[in-house]
Amino acid sequence: MAANQRKNFFINKPLQIRFMLYLTLPVMIITTVIMVGLYIGIWGNMLDAFSNERVRNDLLTASRLTEYENARLPEGQQESSTLRFFKQAEKLSARQREVFKDILDDTNKKIIPKFMLLLVFMAWGTVFISHKIAGPFFRFSATLEEVTKGNMRVRIHLRKKDEGRSIAARFNKTLAFLDDTFSQIKSIIRENDSNRDQMAAKLKEELSKIKTSGDV
Amino acid sequence: MATFKRSRFWALFLAGCLLFPAVAPAEDFSLNPQDRDLLKKIQKDTFYYFTRMSDKETGLTRDSSRPGSPASIAATGFSLAALAIGASNKWVPEEWAYEALRKTLKNLLTKAQHEHGFFYHFLDPRSSRRVWASEASSIDTALLVAGALVAAQYYPGTDIERMAHELYNRVDWQWMQNGNDLVCMGWKPESGFLPYYWDTYNEHLIIQALAIGSPTHAIGRNAWNAWQRLEDDYNGHHVVYGNSGSLFMYQFPQAFIDFRNLDDAGVNYFTNSREAALANRDYSLAVRHLHKGYSEFSWGLSASLGPGGYKAYGAKPGEGLEDGTIAPYAALSSIVFTPKESVATARFFFDQYANDLYSHFGFKDSFNLDKHWWAGEYIGIDQGVTLLMLENFLNDGIIWKKFMDLEAVKKWIEVCKLRAKGTTPSS
Repeated sequence: MAANQRKNFFINKPLQIRFMLYLTLPVMIITTVIMVGLYIGIWGNMLDAFSNERVRNDLLTASRLTEYENARLPEGQQESSTLRFFKQAEKLSARQREVFKDILDDTNKKIIPKFMLLLVFMAWGTVFISHKIAGPFFRFSATLEEVTKGNMRVRIHLRKKDEGRSIAARFNKTLAFLDDTFSQIKSIIRENDSNRDQMAAKLKEELSKIKTSGDV
Repeated sequence: MATFKRSRFWALFLAGCLLFPAVAPAEDFSLNPQDRDLLKKIQKDTFYYFTRMSDKETGLTRDSSRPGSPASIAATGFSLAALAIGASNKWVPEEWAYEALRKTLKNLLTKAQHEHGFFYHFLDPRSSRRVWASEASSIDTALLVAGALVAAQYYPGTDIERMAHELYNRVDWQWMQNGNDLVCMGWKPESGFLPYYWDTYNEHLIIQALAIGSPTHAIGRNAWNAWQRLEDDYNGHHVVYGNSGSLFMYQFPQAFIDFRNLDDAGVNYFTNSREAALANRDYSLAVRHLHKGYSEFSWGLSASLGPGGYKAYGAKPGEGLEDGTIAPYAALSSIVFTPKESVATARFFFDQYANDLYSHFGFKDSFNLDKHWWAGEYIGIDQGVTLLMLENFLNDGIIWKKFMDLEAVKKWIEVCKLRAKGTTPSS
């Protein structure tokens, strides 16, 4: 178990750092937009809702609405000034709850479309980034398929910004080596068809350069 | 030659009728051109309250011109009628008024918060959501519906008519009875029905007319019989009165309903309102030695702003609360009942107090000379009743005609047997 534990997490530092940025940057942007949106939305509205002018207007409205209600009551049922004061306070507190709810609703309304837009960007970004890996995987797979069929002339060609270009170069080098080796063997057979002993000696020499599981 | 003279006489007579139409008020009264111009100016300026104080998107009208004021559903109702009046008087373009009406009605139908069709008394002008924990109000909804139906009558066969009737048909008047004969004043989600019902004479006659005449949720005739008709005399004026004695109670329903040919077991509410207005004036005159503001040309005790806040000022019969505060809208909105007294008062207020009392939207809500106090603001419903009453007075009772022509109103009159003997629906 301990033998399988990774000792070095950075196997391919530039690639891993690049992918770290690919993931962290969008998450950071989304978080920042949401945080700034919430901050500006909530506090901007709060500052407006609780400005001196608004508070003064709300106090006057609370007082006015209580007076309206009182004016509708018959003489015997009209409320004392103390009770009216408490009613005003009650109205004002109900109003503040409405204001808070409106601010949060308003902020949500503004944030949600932005968040959705960012999700679309994220989805598009994910496809774009994954294409840099999925593309080379596809090409490796298709090339290996050709090699399995015996075609040693194939090579892997990746796009300029695809991931895995260095591996592809090494892979192509390996393929070139195999291609050269098999070409050399074919050439020996072709050139020494009349002299079998010479052919066997040359093939032996050529094959001795290759290490295989069948070597004794 | 004699024929020519006779035809010229009739031509002049007709021209006179067109220029200075009589609304068939309670007394003979001729309006001189200067006063007519003044009344037209007041009416037009008053109208602009509704174009300036209504939200451009939702059409909801602010309760008052004070900053931070919520939208009032009753003021919005007056605004709907006002827009139709404004367009018919060419104060605003016809297309603009139509579009504003369409937007407002659509918002009321689809967005504005309501319960069983009853709108909350106060709404946020932008979101159309309930604010200030206000109640779903029966009287304010009735005033809104009345205003919408008046607008509908100005635009027959259009979306305005369709939407206004949809708004009316949605109101579940039976629900607002809460199992009683009387109609409840309102309902709150937190506490249910308010403990107050429309049980005496006051502005609720408009609720009665619309609720009994409703094509979808009509209440029974019992509702009309259930409320108390308290009667009393003041200075020779016999009045079926409302508790506060405030003039607005005698005016609000009658901005829409023409009671001249209606009879409620011997009571004519048009005459009743005239008597109440004259009693109101007499009441001020009786205490004019106590207050600087009261005089034969300066009167009008009605619910209004005052130096100590909004109060239900009024006269006797009723509680008779007064402290020297006069609401110009009170006398102006009595113009169909007391044309001579109301026109003289409007002229007096304008000539004497215009600097302090008159501004962009006509007369401000009130003043009190004892305390050198002048209201700095306008109240939407007071503006509304002034505008509609002036339209009735100056334009041959056109609002009455349009409102009385509604099937619902005819049904109410029929169900409650209110048609005065010897009159027909068209008389």
